[in-house]
Amino acid sequence: MQTWDMDLEELKEEETSLPGSKLKTELLTVNMGPQHPATHGVLRVEIKTDSEVVAQAIPHIGYLHRCMEKHCEAIDYRGILPFVDRLDYLASMSQELTYSMAVEKMLGTEVPRRATVIRMIISEMQRIASHLMAFGTYALDLGAFSPFLYAFDEREKILTLFEDISGARLLYNYFWIGGVWNDLTDKNVEYIKEFLDNFEPELVKYDRLVSQNRIFQERTMGVGTLSLADAHSFGATGPVLRGSGSAWDLRKVDPYLFYNEVEFDVPVGEGQRGSEIGDCYNRYYVRMLEMVESVKIIRQSLKLLEPGPTLGKVSKVIKIPKGETYTRTECPRGELGIHLVSHGEKTPYRLKVKSPCFTHTSILPHIAPGQMIADFVASIGSIDIVLGEVDR
Amino acid sequence: MRDERLTFFGYFRNIYTAVKSSLIGMWITFRYVWGKKPVTVEYPEVRDVLPDNTRSRLYNDALNCISCNLCAISCPVDCIYISSVPRPKDLEVPKCDDGTPKRQVLTQYVIDTALCCYCGLCTVVCPTECLTHTDDYEYSQYMVEDMKYDYLTDDLIAWRDRIVKT
Repeated sequence: MQTWDMDLEELKEEETSLPGSKLKTELLTVNMGPQHPATHGVLRVEIKTDSEVVAQAIPHIGYLHRCMEKHCEAIDYRGILPFVDRLDYLASMSQELTYSMAVEKMLGTEVPRRATVIRMIISEMQRIASHLMAFGTYALDLGAFSPFLYAFDEREKILTLFEDISGARLLYNYFWIGGVWNDLTDKNVEYIKEFLDNFEPELVKYDRLVSQNRIFQERTMGVGTLSLADAHSFGATGPVLRGSGSAWDLRKVDPYLFYNEVEFDVPVGEGQRGSEIGDCYNRYYVRMLEMVESVKIIRQSLKLLEPGPTLGKVSKVIKIPKGETYTRTECPRGELGIHLVSHGEKTPYRLKVKSPCFTHTSILPHIAPGQMIADFVASIGSIDIVLGEVDR
Repeated sequence: MRDERLTFFGYFRNIYTAVKSSLIGMWITFRYVWGKKPVTVEYPEVRDVLPDNTRSRLYNDALNCISCNLCAISCPVDCIYISSVPRPKDLEVPKCDDGTPKRQVLTQYVIDTALCCYCGLCTVVCPTECLTHTDDYEYSQYMVEDMKYDYLTDDLIAWRDRIVKT
């Protein structure tokens, strides 16, 4: 692949090969977004192009900024939950989990065993739903329409379950401080088992339809390669880091909930099917393998389910003693951290969200130079950012 | 690193795998022609059955409201406007359906549904269970101001029989 190490100023000054001619090449600035389907939201990428090759890409963020962190300083701890939902609106359950774990850690609340198992099941279901969305839209970016519909069909089944237990389809407010809102009924458990049985053949189908497709492989293999050293230096987490070959998963490294009681593997990009470690195909493929692992985890956690209460003892008005905490969990898109500082009042003094998508957006200017514009679309899709979490 | 050198056989092998894998994909897609039920719900004619705990439109049964203000306090977006005056002492104190005395006279109960985020926190804290989420979701308006619903007006009180589940 051609690399563009030269400075942009040099590139502008470079003259054409005609001797004595005043003709010069010039970079063309193109705005991709904010209303571009490939940017998955309202991201604007200012691209300086040299013909069809990207010479420089500058992401401009902030279109979805809602002052969430500042708002939270004026709201009581229960009222923050709906705000946290709206960070990564494709994986709300995982965000709620992180926030409620942070508050429980500061309060010292003990979460009942059944509630913890339910949290594990539901957050893994959410991981499947989020990865399905990533898979579907990624195939859509690269020109395949039907995988998108198949992925949405399966995702719809998960959303139906979430709607049944929480009452909402997208912004659930289901994980409460101290447990979960509603209990999983036997009917829901049967539904989950049935879903998992139907879902495994679907994964094989996605693999044959998209992952093994030569055209898809040609579009993604060797594109947007992020080396392991770069992934570490950019602070990448989640599938982006694992796609670059590091088996870093908080569920294994720093287990929370009951992840130390279940058996699962951490999928790592190993250059499967002749790809290059850390390219778009590996990042995509790690997501597909993670769905298989999530199915394994859910099957095992369904066995851990015992009857019992689902909401621990939390006072009506939550006042957190003075102190601070940093809680992190493995969300579908990477490591989400919540830094909560309390001064002993009803509202937090400071709530800082470390979002994986924000860190991953910073990778874009690094991998963009030298790519064709169509490959740049593939790179954005493989990083799988959600702008609600980038801007907060 | 991927081997990017183009050999003579590699060129044709690439074409062969591309055609073969595309045909496999087309076969998978083609099988959807039969045996698969459509998943689309044709909305105005066919309506989806919503679960019992659906968090849709808020409805306050003003006759049972004791004006305790808990819903307005718990609301994270402050979309509930509630005001009340103390009941004169010489008057008899009416009671709600579950026997809670109504010591305040409710003078205003407005919910700005355009602002509401449907989180359900207000319905949880309600002591008389008069504020509930219903499964009614068709209440769009032309103007934003019309989204403010005053639950003390007669026509909204009359909705009680229509949208509140018993």
